[in-house]
Amino acid sequence: MLQFILRRIGISLFVLWAGSVLLYILTINSGDPLEDLRESRAENRDQLIASRVEAMNLDEPWYVRYWMWFTGASKCLVLQCDLGTSRGGGDINSMLVQAAGSSLRLVTLATALAIVLGVTMGVLSAIRQYSGFDYAVTFAAFIFFSLPVFWAAVLLKQYGAIGFNDWIADPTVSTVTTLLIALVFGLTVSAVAGGDMQRRLISFGATTVVLFAVVTYFDSVGWWLRPALGLPLILLLSLAAFGLLLMLTSGLRNRKVITAGLVTIAIGTVLYFVVGPMMEDPSWGLVFALAAISVVVGVGVGFALGGYERRTAVWVSVGTALAFGGFVFFDELLRNWGTFVDKTGRPISTIGSGTPGFSGNFWEQIWNWGTQLILPTIVLTVISLASYSRYTRSSMLETTQQDYIRTARSKGLSDRVINTRHALRNALIPITTIVAFDFASLIGGAVVTERVFGWSGMGAMFQAGLDTVDPNPVMAFYLVTGTAAVLMNMLADIAYASLDPRIRR
Amino acid sequence: MNDNDRPDQDRPHLPGSGEERLSPSPYPGSADPGSPQRVDELEKRFSVEKQLDLSEKSYSQGQLVRRRFFRHKGALISLGVLVGILVLSVTSIGWGPVPGWWGKSYLTGATVLDGGRPTLSLWPPSLGEHPFGQDNTGKDYFALTMRGAQQSLTIAFTVGILSTLIGTLVGAAAGYYRGWVEAVLMRMTDLFIVIPLLVLAAVVAKIAGGGIWALALALSILVWTGLARLVRGEVLSLREREFVTAAEAIGSSSGRIIFKHILPNTIGTIIVSATLTIAAAILLESALSFLGYGILPPETSLGLLISQYQTAFTSRPWLFWWPGMFILAIALSVNFLGDGLRDAFDPRQNRSAD
Amino acid sequence: MATAVPEIPTVTSDTGAVLSFEDVDVRFKTEFGSVHAVKGVSLDVKPGEVVAVVGESGSGKSVTAMTAMRLLPKNARINGHVVVNGKDVGSISERAMRKLRGNDIAMVFQEPMTALNPVLTIGMQLTESMELHGLAVGRDAEKRAIELLEMVGIPEPERRVKQYPHELSGGQRQRVVIAMAISCDPRVIIADEPTTALDVTVQADILDLLRSLKDKLNTGILLITHNMGVVADMSDRVAVMFKGELVEQGTAQEVLLNPQHDYTKMLLASVPRLGAGRGQMGIHVKDDLDETGDLAIDLRNLVIEYQRLGKPPFRAVDDVSFQVRQGEIVGLVGESGSGKSTIGRCALGLIPAAGGEFQLLGQDITQLNRSQLKAVRRRIGVIFQDPAASLNPRMPIGECIAEPMVVHKVGDRQSRQDKVYELLEAVQLPREVYNRYPHEVSGGQRQRISVARALTLDPELLVADEPTSALDVSVQAKVLRIFSELQEHYKFACLFISHDLSVIDLLAHKVVVLQNGRVVEAGPREEILHNPQEEYTQRLLAAAPVPNPVEQRQRREERHDLLLALGDEISELKLVGHEDGSGR
Repeated sequence: MLQFILRRIGISLFVLWAGSVLLYILTINSGDPLEDLRESRAENRDQLIASRVEAMNLDEPWYVRYWMWFTGASKCLVLQCDLGTSRGGGDINSMLVQAAGSSLRLVTLATALAIVLGVTMGVLSAIRQYSGFDYAVTFAAFIFFSLPVFWAAVLLKQYGAIGFNDWIADPTVSTVTTLLIALVFGLTVSAVAGGDMQRRLISFGATTVVLFAVVTYFDSVGWWLRPALGLPLILLLSLAAFGLLLMLTSGLRNRKVITAGLVTIAIGTVLYFVVGPMMEDPSWGLVFALAAISVVVGVGVGFALGGYERRTAVWVSVGTALAFGGFVFFDELLRNWGTFVDKTGRPISTIGSGTPGFSGNFWEQIWNWGTQLILPTIVLTVISLASYSRYTRSSMLETTQQDYIRTARSKGLSDRVINTRHALRNALIPITTIVAFDFASLIGGAVVTERVFGWSGMGAMFQAGLDTVDPNPVMAFYLVTGTAAVLMNMLADIAYASLDPRIRR
Repeated sequence: MNDNDRPDQDRPHLPGSGEERLSPSPYPGSADPGSPQRVDELEKRFSVEKQLDLSEKSYSQGQLVRRRFFRHKGALISLGVLVGILVLSVTSIGWGPVPGWWGKSYLTGATVLDGGRPTLSLWPPSLGEHPFGQDNTGKDYFALTMRGAQQSLTIAFTVGILSTLIGTLVGAAAGYYRGWVEAVLMRMTDLFIVIPLLVLAAVVAKIAGGGIWALALALSILVWTGLARLVRGEVLSLREREFVTAAEAIGSSSGRIIFKHILPNTIGTIIVSATLTIAAAILLESALSFLGYGILPPETSLGLLISQYQTAFTSRPWLFWWPGMFILAIALSVNFLGDGLRDAFDPRQNRSAD
Repeated sequence: MATAVPEIPTVTSDTGAVLSFEDVDVRFKTEFGSVHAVKGVSLDVKPGEVVAVVGESGSGKSVTAMTAMRLLPKNARINGHVVVNGKDVGSISERAMRKLRGNDIAMVFQEPMTALNPVLTIGMQLTESMELHGLAVGRDAEKRAIELLEMVGIPEPERRVKQYPHELSGGQRQRVVIAMAISCDPRVIIADEPTTALDVTVQADILDLLRSLKDKLNTGILLITHNMGVVADMSDRVAVMFKGELVEQGTAQEVLLNPQHDYTKMLLASVPRLGAGRGQMGIHVKDDLDETGDLAIDLRNLVIEYQRLGKPPFRAVDDVSFQVRQGEIVGLVGESGSGKSTIGRCALGLIPAAGGEFQLLGQDITQLNRSQLKAVRRRIGVIFQDPAASLNPRMPIGECIAEPMVVHKVGDRQSRQDKVYELLEAVQLPREVYNRYPHEVSGGQRQRISVARALTLDPELLVADEPTSALDVSVQAKVLRIFSELQEHYKFACLFISHDLSVIDLLAHKVVVLQNGRVVEAGPREEILHNPQEEYTQRLLAAAPVPNPVEQRQRREERHDLLLALGDEISELKLVGHEDGSGR
């Protein structure tokens, strides 16, 4: 496996280098860097031209210029990047530091979300092939495939951001809207749940009623401005997560695993009261430390109570502990929503990648950061969600026709075990190969999306460079996105190798 | 393609007497069981071979595909929409020197009537003076949109055809000969992992300089790799099939094997991905025009229209909606068309449905 | 308490069937209308009994068996009753059915290569059904998995449970599948062509294993097969199916030795018998050969290697020498991996030789340039194994047959067409298929078209690579008969590659036995097949079953004696830790 991955990294690095040469040549030939000066009527025109030729080394042949860039860039290996200056004289390094963070956050988040949601939707629509849910997902995927990114972004900016900001000023949900939301959820859940008519009616009815009640309750207590979960909901949600984990692993058969999970939740409840005060304004360090403690608790409980199925118990307990911690975190985050809205007024940002001069506590910073990110992330996620869900669906359908699935059925395994344990793992193998390509197209999509939302991110840097025939910003853009793509590709390869034992060895 | 007739699979055959109209075997002999003649007679009565019904119409693979395609309603509707848009955009404002039935030009401005609002009304159906409204200089937006659709479609189809040609040839060569062609192809596809297609296309399109044909050519030399990869994969597996080996053993030249035996069998993959390439090209062109590297004014394209009028969203939303809806409609119908073609060429996944 | 040992059920009564079909009828709804796959079949399987269901393609034998598992696709409509261990499969709930599967009724599938999940360990796949059915959990289950592997004769079971399927050979995988089937101690096992994908020696071992399994565990076995030899070797009772109908049923002796129904008679008459030599099925190959004729193939110390990335090359053929004379049929036999097909491909100039000499029709093909090679290829015909893949699906049949003439620029349009008509007649197909496409005809007919194509240019040498292995026996008989007639008429030399010794016995003049790329034994047919000198040939011959239960029992015992004499084990179920009879 190591050999496989090393080989792939070698190839990736070679391609990364070849790409840099190609992009450099293309960029410096994409126009005349002196065009604006040539047309200028300034008196010192010749002097300006000369100084720009001097600054950009335009009198040198392309390979010399490339080499100058390359030696500077290769210093990145020892963390002393020198990416040169832009045509206007700005230092690329400092420009990059500002731009890279927000862009990479956006692309990474969108990739993760698209994979998780896309694969889930794909699996569900494959399991419920030819159901209403399947048709809906398929149709939605086709729409998303065919949606111009910039157009969708503008639409979302208009309706998602401006609409939401208007609404949050006086947040109430009308009965009709509540009913509509409840019906949509009810239909979705019943379509996913499947089964015979009776089962579908029950799941539809139950979901609709519960959702209607919840939304009405939230509306009446003004939850939208002062949201929170509270311990009861945290417990309920943690139990639900625990149940899901059980379904995915051992089922309800093994008492020891169940005990381990319940004990984990109990310990979590105790800790909730202990660490509660610390969560008022924590730091990232504290949050990660608490997450680590959750893992330790999970491992400990699972190990102590797991018995003969120790491994499963440990997995389930750790998962439950992390879910509990996550809900506590989320609860605290929600509690700070109100003050954040008060501070900003119009929470969802439509212009720029950060509110200048914003200050607030830990949670408000997260909100600030999240509300900038949310719309571009939605746009990018939706677009690449489509390909993941289609691809997963067909891969899953292909897998469920394999002989070993028939073997699994003949053992008497239930559909749940067959789908999760036998089919999904095999179906995921080909998905890993499209992650790398999809990541690249997401970066492309980010260039467009950032422009719509007016971010001064990597996309803006690339465009500025290209417009002024200035290779340095373009190459800096390439260095960051290309490296990120190579890293992503490597992750995909590792996932591939860990899913498929035939590659390992 | 069709492997119904392997034994041990027990795929149900249609019941029938199983007789074959074949000339009798020339064995003499008595009629005791086990004698050749008797065996031959029994063989006929109890043959598991398919009955050759020569009165039935013969269907080639292509005809079967066509039949399946015409049963796919979604694809047919999409085809209708696509042809509709094509005919509308070409006939309305004409093509080149040929004038269209819509009198207004997309280049000349006029006085802005009623704030440039669209005059199209569905009931009673009427187009009015400016069905899609007018832009801020009074240009007729219907004519502009039609011109944009023309340009976008031209680029998309040119890119589709050109890149399919390149991709098919390179993919076939890479799959059949392997060696350096394959290595180069694989590294080129890897390239698009590190340089996003849109980014490379932006640079190349800027070099191309904004003309429609130059842009189409520039995009074609970039987007063929995906198709080439698919064709290569298909060729790699076909090359192991026995009919290809048989052709090699007969002494057929490589060219004959590729063009007569292998490529006709990849036609499904090629056509399907050509359609998907067309859809991708529409979106790519519009994104480039939006960013300012595609079609340049005074010419126009659907992406450019959106780019020019995105700030007018709140005041004159139609300037934003019409070109967007056209892009969406074209891309969606091409994608559905591709899906229908895929089902027609490869009915495997659908068979268990009914 | 679940100690991990299969229970030996006490036989309640002799009449209590563990699996019975009562008037089972299955229809499939397809896009071309309804297909009546099984038409009222009634059949019983008792504990400790092997009932074989035989039939060719489309007989409905597998469909019948699958009704017992209730695993048919959704478009199937099933009538009648299937009772497994006293429970009516048609009327119980899905949950009860899942409890039944694996626990009361288990299955062994045809393809060991695809029947196991490639991403899960052997141990995982073995333990999951035990855990599901509550026989053993956690480490107990793992222990039991190791025992099961030991029982079915897999060496180093502790290591194997941690391995993945791709690390095991085909025969071992089939043993794992069997171990999985017996893991929950089912009352009846459905074995659907359990040995079809295996080599003949491995097949004999697996059959031994299955036989000892039903003896020791008193499990009933429903054996689905098309192989009459396997039927004779294994079954107590036989049911013959044809196009969905059960045409004959009885004990193995009754059905195989004294068939009543015409179909059974025809089927048995179509099976070539090892040792019966010439003259079966109306096939008469002339044995008077010109021993001084020219050599069509002259191999001297041929070596063929496959290059592998990052590893030393794999030597597929190692130091092989033999000759084929004009007009002579030489049978090349061996199991998978013996290199027989590789030699065939080398003879066609498709694979280069790494060493040695390959004289083809008087020329050394390792030295030829492209145009010389083409000239030699004109004089060679070829037939491949897979009828589904051997004809270009996008070419009309007439064009397929005419292709060699087009490639070598022989004749004009009219003369080519005439030649194709002549060839179609020779392979007993009507002229009208000229404009049809390969998917419109069935397997045997396609294989006859392949024969016609091979003979288009009146070749001096024909390379036939397993030409009938993928065909039903009755179809095979017809293709072989046409083949032998044509050989007599055209007098071409033939390299006949096959794994089926009885077909070789029927056709070949000389036999070359290969193992792992080396020649084990070579010589005239009578010597090699009737009086083999080498151990491997003896094993190979002993493992091939014949369709006569009495004779086969004797052959089986002889094979066991041979194996013991050679110091090998006989495959059987080893009941680990069960000597004290404690059970679970």
